[in-house]
Amino acid sequence: MRIKAKAKGDKTEVKVMMKHPMLSYREAKKKGKEANFIVYVTAKNEGAVVYEVSTSQFLSKNPYMKFYFKGGKKGEEVEITWVDLKGKTKTGKAKIK
Amino acid sequence: MERRKFLGMGAGMVAVLAAPSMLMATNYREKLPEVWKIKNDEKAKGEDMAGVNAAIKAIFGSDKVEEGKVKLKAPDIAENGAVVPVSFKAEGAKKIALMQTADPEAVVAIFDVPERGIPDYSVRIKMQQTGHVVVVAEIDGKLYKAEKVVKVTVGGCGG
Repeated sequence: MRIKAKAKGDKTEVKVMMKHPMLSYREAKKKGKEANFIVYVTAKNEGAVVYEVSTSQFLSKNPYMKFYFKGGKKGEEVEITWVDLKGKTKTGKAKIK
Repeated sequence: MERRKFLGMGAGMVAVLAAPSMLMATNYREKLPEVWKIKNDEKAKGEDMAGVNAAIKAIFGSDKVEEGKVKLKAPDIAENGAVVPVSFKAEGAKKIALMQTADPEAVVAIFDVPERGIPDYSVRIKMQQTGHVVVVAEIDGKLYKAEKVVKVTVGGCGG
């Protein structure tokens, strides 16, 4: 997972690229594989949830997301966690610049 | 706030339950499992809104939707339907749903806006064919919608 977080005045901008094939049911069938895709993503800053999305098979491969949240200071951490359809979960962290 | 239940996702749930601060969150895959199955009419070639309208009702509990307050950016023409950049803003929104008419099912993503969240989001989506991208936001208990047609030249859903 690649995360870039940047303090911009009273808010923080976050860009994240998650590594995941995001195989839709149709794509999976074509490839003879099982469908699997990220279904839920959250981001936290200093323990507080600041971003939350439930997702589907129709996000592009290696999903990219950009979002903002209120507050966040240079040097603090942003922690992003995803869960996929099979229950695999991954967490990445980055310091706010 | 009602206590959220995180049942039925097998091993992944163990990991989620291990993170106490996430218990306040809403995983719509768990809360509304049926909305992800709402189909678009594929024979309508991206022109059928029935799936999206059913999804709005299922997600927000109402289909009374006004225009305005939501700003949506998406390309007029997407050369590659596998990667269509979509951005939207809806000041004051508590919940936002992103949908389309181009793929087998209507719902792409559902955002809950946390206390410190700013509803100004960008994602990249797959569109199998030309269709409507629809964003609905709940602001002060009312629903607002923005919609845009994206012309897809090469489909991106393995179809």
